[in-house]
Amino acid sequence: MIKNVLLVDDDRAMLLALQEGFARYSDSFSVLLAGDGIEALEYLKRQPVSLVVTDLKMPRVDGFELLATIMANFPDIPVIIITGYSTPEMERLARKGGAVAFVAKPFLIENLARQIVSMLRQEADGGTLHNVTSGVFLQLIEMEQKTCTIRLEEKTFGEKGVLFFVEGELCDARVGERQGEMAAYEIFAWDNVSLSIQNDCTVRQNRINKELSSLLIEGARRSDELKAQRAERHGGGRTRSGSRPEEALKGVRLKIECTLGTRCGAEDVIQDERWTGRVQRISQSGERLKLGKLALAYIDQGDSRDYLLLPADHAVVAVNPKCPRDKLLQLLGE
Amino acid sequence: MSALFDDLLAVAGVKGVMFFSAAGELLFEKSGAGGMDKAAAPDWQALLVSLDGAREADLIFEIGRLYIRKAEEGVLVVTMGRIAPAAMIRLNCDVLLSELKSRKGSGPLFEDAKPKRKKGLGRFFQLP
Repeated sequence: MIKNVLLVDDDRAMLLALQEGFARYSDSFSVLLAGDGIEALEYLKRQPVSLVVTDLKMPRVDGFELLATIMANFPDIPVIIITGYSTPEMERLARKGGAVAFVAKPFLIENLARQIVSMLRQEADGGTLHNVTSGVFLQLIEMEQKTCTIRLEEKTFGEKGVLFFVEGELCDARVGERQGEMAAYEIFAWDNVSLSIQNDCTVRQNRINKELSSLLIEGARRSDELKAQRAERHGGGRTRSGSRPEEALKGVRLKIECTLGTRCGAEDVIQDERWTGRVQRISQSGERLKLGKLALAYIDQGDSRDYLLLPADHAVVAVNPKCPRDKLLQLLGE
Repeated sequence: MSALFDDLLAVAGVKGVMFFSAAGELLFEKSGAGGMDKAAAPDWQALLVSLDGAREADLIFEIGRLYIRKAEEGVLVVTMGRIAPAAMIRLNCDVLLSELKSRKGSGPLFEDAKPKRKKGLGRFFQLP
């Protein structure tokens, strides 16, 4: 899986130069850009991020504040500091605050890229597993009394989460900004995951204090409940066009592949409930502005993927930003 | 300042252009059909909020289409018919936003803005 590296600097030229310089590493990581600490924190809440590279001097929330917030809420994410005002005292403070590296400007982009790649490798130094059910595997971690950080990706909706084990005990979990027991239940409700193991755990505080087996049982119960609710919410599983959601997704995928080919940049056609609220709000605004309901939308959030939203089919198409956007809009708007 | 928006308004299918500050305040509005209904301002703001920070959005509704671009200077909204030369409109928006950026701090749209300190790339990177 491609990892996201969040670059934070108030100097747009710097960000764009780094983005361009890192383009040749796109098979190892993709970059997200934030103009200051507040924007960076918004990204961290919304997007799975593997590493943060931040400047120190920025308006609103500066690099030190950002570092402290990351250490408190996203302790598994390593932070590299880059600064044009480097002093030994500043470096000492940054390292004491949890930064894994301190880079003084000017620097070679290649060197920074190598540092990033090396850090990202550590995320999976204990190995990776694909298409597994997490329960049995996690019980093995408990039996082996392992200390590790496990990053999981749910295969249907692409959700990502992290579990922190210290000597076989599940101490903490995180999904976006959600932490502790609730995040653990969310992860345990995932049926089909890919996971990577890091043989280290930065978290030492136990936020969960419960037996893993009881957490897994409760997670499974919640998962069943959620599936039942989803089935009910879709009114027997029908979209506005009259087909079942899975048929509608298949129809959208076929339409794209048959007309524009399999390499047109449409990476995934999914049902993603995270978009439901936003689509409804945009549609309601459109109706108030006498434009009618939302039929189709293309959204660029500045991430490695853009999104095409098809409200009538409850479908979300994740696309490469370099896809033929207008052709896709025309095709799906027909 | 309004002349800046003329090229965009001249593109076939474009019905109007609005420019909001980052805080959602309407800074500029021009359309070919008598202007925007002022009472609709909160609805436009609600729409921008519903985009949840998206950098760019192309929204196709049942009876109209919007192209929205978020930039450092504010948010540009282009209203158009369902069939419009989208690529041409995006290109015009690129040009317009670049022009607005270069005028930041000097025009009536940006009276309160201070010019940004420029930094050269040589300050950041060593030559290999």
